[in-house]
Amino acid sequence: MLELTLQSLFSGVLSGAYYALIALGLALVFGTMRVINLAHGELVLLGAYISYTAEEKLGLDPLASLPLALAVVVGTAILVYYLVSLIKTDRELNSLILTFGIGVILTNGVLMIWSADIHSATTPWYHDATILFETLFAMQAELVFAGIGILLVGAVWWWLEKSWYGRALRAVASNRDAAKLMGVNPQLTEILSFAVSGLLATVAGVAIYTAKVIQPAMGHHLTVKAFIITVLAGMGSVPGVLLGAVLLGVVESLTVTLASSALQELAGMVLFLVVLLLMPSGLFGRAKRRG
Amino acid sequence: MSKSKLCVSALALSLMLGFAPAHAAEFKIGAEIPLSGNLARVGTAMNEGIQVAAEMFNKKSGKHSVKIITMDDESSPAKAVGAVEKLAADGVVAYTGGYGSNIIGPASEAAEKLGKVYVTSGGVASELTKRNLKTFFRINSSEGYARALMGMFNKQGVKSVAVVYSTKEATEEVAKMLQSGLGPQGVKVTMHAFDPATNDFKPIIHKIKLQDRPDAIAMIGYENDYVGILRAAKVLKPDIKTIAGVWSLATAKMAAEFPDLMENVSGTSTLSYPAEFTTPEAKEFAETYQKMFNKAPDYLGIFGYVQSKLLFEAVARAADTGTVDKGGIATEMRKTLSDTVIGKVRFDESGDNPEFTHRMGQHQAGKVVLVWPSDAATGTMKYPAVPW
Repeated sequence: MLELTLQSLFSGVLSGAYYALIALGLALVFGTMRVINLAHGELVLLGAYISYTAEEKLGLDPLASLPLALAVVVGTAILVYYLVSLIKTDRELNSLILTFGIGVILTNGVLMIWSADIHSATTPWYHDATILFETLFAMQAELVFAGIGILLVGAVWWWLEKSWYGRALRAVASNRDAAKLMGVNPQLTEILSFAVSGLLATVAGVAIYTAKVIQPAMGHHLTVKAFIITVLAGMGSVPGVLLGAVLLGVVESLTVTLASSALQELAGMVLFLVVLLLMPSGLFGRAKRRG
Repeated sequence: MSKSKLCVSALALSLMLGFAPAHAAEFKIGAEIPLSGNLARVGTAMNEGIQVAAEMFNKKSGKHSVKIITMDDESSPAKAVGAVEKLAADGVVAYTGGYGSNIIGPASEAAEKLGKVYVTSGGVASELTKRNLKTFFRINSSEGYARALMGMFNKQGVKSVAVVYSTKEATEEVAKMLQSGLGPQGVKVTMHAFDPATNDFKPIIHKIKLQDRPDAIAMIGYENDYVGILRAAKVLKPDIKTIAGVWSLATAKMAAEFPDLMENVSGTSTLSYPAEFTTPEAKEFAETYQKMFNKAPDYLGIFGYVQSKLLFEAVARAADTGTVDKGGIATEMRKTLSDTVIGKVRFDESGDNPEFTHRMGQHQAGKVVLVWPSDAATGTMKYPAVPW
């Protein structure tokens, strides 16, 4: 039983790092612009499909396809920003409707271009097993992208806390007019926020393509998962995303091992409700106000 | 040509026209099917079979013809009902298509209210044929899938099976049939349900490896589930002798897309790969399919073809008796007794095809070899054998 539980915890942490990659972009845009980008899952999906095309047509390793995927997804994210910026009234509500519509268009665009077949990376190295301490098993792709995920979460947190542009983003989120008076260009910082969100979505997409399976209809599910983690973390909190994602991953994994795998998604939702009941602002609620 | 010969020819032509079928007609058939959403792949494949059936029927039929009007239900039950009603308004006389038991259920009830036949192969749940609908017909069933899996496990002599199954209606039903069928035979069965959103199967496979220690793993899910389960099994390497599943597994597409995962994996399959079509009809079907879609047919296309062909023939017979609008299509469907490319088909009172039993195929060196039942086998079953 101990071996089972340890493996379960380990799998949960790895899943959490992958969840964090998916959720961080959504959290960043909400934290800086108070916009919930419901097309975020579709941006992740787009990154995955570019990686698939690069591997299929050009023979590129999924990691080597990152620059190409970045160009397409970051470009699309900036286009989403441009469309959102056209909203003049009640941006929080209207952006929900707009980004949901963009998500539907992107899903159907993926379906038209790449068909409804499922795909996954074919490079065998990523799917080979790594055994740690003789009892913990992981796919090599999971370890690679868990490491990248943790590094990216740390980098984004550092950037927001320490860099001038990061502070500018938080200033715009806190008080757009005051930030303008301080010499911050709000439009530029918001574009930057969407661009970084696109970067994170790209890496998440390549991670999913490499370790798991992609299909056109999965974007919506990814957005829902990212939204749950973002709320769990405390809307807009970057460190909270990592903690919330790992917590969700571990709870889901332990539920499979100690109860039933059929209850995995339910356990995640129960965790979500319990945290919101006990801590209505999420795990890192205070961080929200600080941006 | 002399004047008299011209007159005789004109008379002959007018007589021929006069004896031409008085009621030759083009009948509109509705294809309500998921072409987008999470069932888009299977819906698209079935739709290809429907188009081939129409092409072949129109080519052969000297009298009646069919025109397919396709509507995408977007993998949504509500939109499927809307599609059925819209197609009726467009004048269709019957429906072919449907995928997913939860979608087919309300869609076929809407067809029943409209008094129009609805034929499918996309939903295998038993509940569908327990509703006493007069216009619902299905060419396959859960029993046929479970029978094939059990037949292969029996032939292999496995003593214990861990069943990993999605909690969707049809998959859960096949899993429980497997449990209730193998249990009384003295086979130890352990059940592992998983949520359809699951994408990390390592905790389940680890449990199976350390606690169940079975001879076999049965996967009852869909393509993305199989890939996840097989990847997890490749990492954890449970000490099993065989691994098998159901639909969308023993296919050319899986062999081509996931060669590192599929070797020695078995699944239900209507045909081998490369496909060996032996009967004239099957050969014509394969040639037409290849011509229309520039690829070899898969089993979903074959199911779509068979269900539609039987429907078109029933529509033609009903047209001959002048009963298309008087419930004649359902009556003619019930008279069906046909040896099709998926085996014998006849419909009982509930609309089910009691003749349906699937075959089992095994991935071997990039091909799919039929290994069960013996009379349909195209090669030797590898056992014990796993992909890792």
